[in-house]
Amino acid sequence: MIKEKYISNFKEISINILQSNIRSVRKKDITKMGFRVYENGFIGIAGAVGKVDESELEKRAIENLRLEIPYPYEPSANLVKKVDYRKEVLSHEELVKEIEELFKLLREEFPDFIFSNNIYIQDFETKLINNKGVDLTHIDRIVAAAIIIKEKDSVNVFDAFSSYVDREYSREKILNNIRETLTAYRNKVELPIKGKQPVVFFADDMLPLKKIIEEMNGYKVGTGASLFKDFIGEKKFSDKFTLYQSAEEEELTGVEFFDAEGVVNPDYRYTLIENGKIITPYTDKKTASEFNLPLTGSASSEYDKVPSLTPRNLVVKSSDKTLKELLNGQLGIAVLIASGGDFTQEGVFGTPVQLAFLTDGEKLLGRLPELTISGELYSMFGDDFVGKSQNKGLLDNKTMVFNLEVDYI
Amino acid sequence: MYIFPENLYTDVRLEEVSISEITYENKELRQNLKRNHKGGFIRIFDGERWYYSSTTDIDNIQEEIDNLALMAKKNEKINENPVVKKFEINTGEFLYFQDNDILNISQEEKLTLLKSYFPIISKTEEIKMCRAIYVDSKITKQFFSSKGADLIFDYQTCAIAFRYSINVDGKTLDSKYDKTTTDFDELKLLHEKLKNKIDKDIIYTKDAKPVKPGKYTVIFSPIATGVFTHESFGHKSEADFMVGDETMMREWTIGKKVGVDNLSIVDRGDILGCGFVPFDDEGTKYNETYLIKDGILSGRLHSSLTAESLKENVTGNARAMNFEFEPIVRMTTTYIEAGDKTKEELISEVEEGILVEDIRHGAGMSTFTIAPSISYMIRDGKIAEPVNIAVISGNVMETLYEIDGISNEIEIVFFPLSGCGKMEQFPLPVGMGGPYIRVKNITVQ
Repeated sequence: MIKEKYISNFKEISINILQSNIRSVRKKDITKMGFRVYENGFIGIAGAVGKVDESELEKRAIENLRLEIPYPYEPSANLVKKVDYRKEVLSHEELVKEIEELFKLLREEFPDFIFSNNIYIQDFETKLINNKGVDLTHIDRIVAAAIIIKEKDSVNVFDAFSSYVDREYSREKILNNIRETLTAYRNKVELPIKGKQPVVFFADDMLPLKKIIEEMNGYKVGTGASLFKDFIGEKKFSDKFTLYQSAEEEELTGVEFFDAEGVVNPDYRYTLIENGKIITPYTDKKTASEFNLPLTGSASSEYDKVPSLTPRNLVVKSSDKTLKELLNGQLGIAVLIASGGDFTQEGVFGTPVQLAFLTDGEKLLGRLPELTISGELYSMFGDDFVGKSQNKGLLDNKTMVFNLEVDYI
Repeated sequence: MYIFPENLYTDVRLEEVSISEITYENKELRQNLKRNHKGGFIRIFDGERWYYSSTTDIDNIQEEIDNLALMAKKNEKINENPVVKKFEINTGEFLYFQDNDILNISQEEKLTLLKSYFPIISKTEEIKMCRAIYVDSKITKQFFSSKGADLIFDYQTCAIAFRYSINVDGKTLDSKYDKTTTDFDELKLLHEKLKNKIDKDIIYTKDAKPVKPGKYTVIFSPIATGVFTHESFGHKSEADFMVGDETMMREWTIGKKVGVDNLSIVDRGDILGCGFVPFDDEGTKYNETYLIKDGILSGRLHSSLTAESLKENVTGNARAMNFEFEPIVRMTTTYIEAGDKTKEELISEVEEGILVEDIRHGAGMSTFTIAPSISYMIRDGKIAEPVNIAVISGNVMETLYEIDGISNEIEIVFFPLSGCGKMEQFPLPVGMGGPYIRVKNITVQ
């Protein structure tokens, strides 16, 4: 019998902000453990939170084999690796003091705005260990600021947003992002033209990739339910568009370098679409086996569940151009908040843009009125795909540029 | 039970959670989960700041209280603090689900229930992928406070959900059928409804054409009405957005006209289902709160903090997603009240418009958006061809005046596999719904 443990430790300190002042301080310390056993093509799992009696958990997992959940796949074996990507951060006491000072600065510099939400440090450690020689550990830390910004005279619930995610705290970067956003926010501008023009999405905004990610699901492709079911191996998009699953240190935020089935890809990367050609959908062991597809290591799982297929940290490959070079002298529409958009079944894209800025590729120039943008899947990632910037040119983020239809809402 | 530190306000919320989740993918068992766990959340208030701790080490809650108290400043007048004065002191045992306790249903019964629906799926060759899911949840909460609150109460839901992908001659549709209830027996006789939904979806997949973008009169089904109500107006009624914000308080003055005369929106925690909140996570008893009554702004949703800040009454809307989070102002079950027309009358009065029958998701700020999954053109007062729509949108405050028809029956809906998101707390179970409503000048993309 193969026995496996999936252990998650999570610690957090979160400073919650209300009306530009610290309102509360929250601590978390959560331990979760799942025990898996594999026998005769079945998997049995038991989980617990808090203090764990491991022998009791093992006993329950063995009992749960009688539930006969099929798992006729070989658990990972002989793989030992530990990463610790944490960087030094402030102590809890120092963080509280620092945030007090940060918001004092913001109150002084931007008296016409109200800041709220939170800044937090999360430490997490995930382990996958089995008696077939797997011993994988991922230790990491996230420092994040998710600042909701409201203009004092505005009747909106909020007007702008500033986010910061890194492994270390930087007052300078947080402040610079807010300064650039609010300086541009105060300068109202109009669209230079209506109609098709460059639209700039921040690289962590998954809205433009939503449909591709849905249709690249290996189970959907295998069962014939995907739009891409007949297109594996075919070139359907621009040469400039490459999509890969990444577990590289610089591209990981809150995700382990191994998947929930203990799969670690060579060079921490698996390419799904290369230069416009669909190579393979993303798969877990079940999907890969059932439909004879390459295994991409795309299983996720809660601590006490059977691993299942999930898109994991999909990243568009950067071009060798800066955002300024991608815009090639044109002005772009930088999308900061686009909530509620979607694709139709056949791939027509539409979204309102609640907060957009005009940009020259180096800075935000001014705030645009609310807009609608629209496009079509194969065009967006075909002729209308301009590329992803190699530099963190806007608000310390990489960006993706598409030519899309833009109009006032 | 606990020794609360002197000169501080303290409350403790303990949660005992039992969850079942069964998933079949194309009739193959993928999950058969039975989870039980306990967790605790402690809050300490010194009159200036709150200090929270979330822990799974519930045997050492007292130690955690004592440690957390070290961060706070002792305040001899804490009981005179206006926020502390707002906390209700409710006591007693309120166990609502002892007669039909979901914990008495065996996992085998749940499996059998789900499998009874498989023949419908198997007979439909257009379904290429189907995920059949059973979920239930029973949560028993205990709440203690240094003011004397001492409560135990429970709530439960159970649901079946089908997520399926249809492919008809290369045209695809991802669709769904759900039913959420508090009584397991109500899940046993839904076969005809599932079959009808699938049949309708297949016809839709075959015939749907891209919509011609533009502005239309749109009739929202109860699920679309519910999402519109929740996203567009419900969130704006959560008072934490107004605390200390003079502009918002001026804009949201009670008594202000905000919509058409026959528009009433209510939030109430006593409707069984995902939004059933007999006591909120500060120990406040549920309430019925009119947000809009006959077109007039009539109320808003509160925690003790926001109620004190706006000098209004608590409403029982301080909710936390689970023991890992502090309560913040959230909705319970929010809906538009019924009007005076039939659904058929609403449709018959539209020369050219759109009926949104089902949706994928919705969102709302100053502009609301809904992504419809099933929609039909309305031509000359009749439902016509199916159309594919990416999103519909409109300005929230203008749209409340654009409602020109409300049907006379309401339906409350729940989302068994998702819920409401606010800041970091997602998904929180809520209910929403209403009647069919007809809205002019909606942007359709």
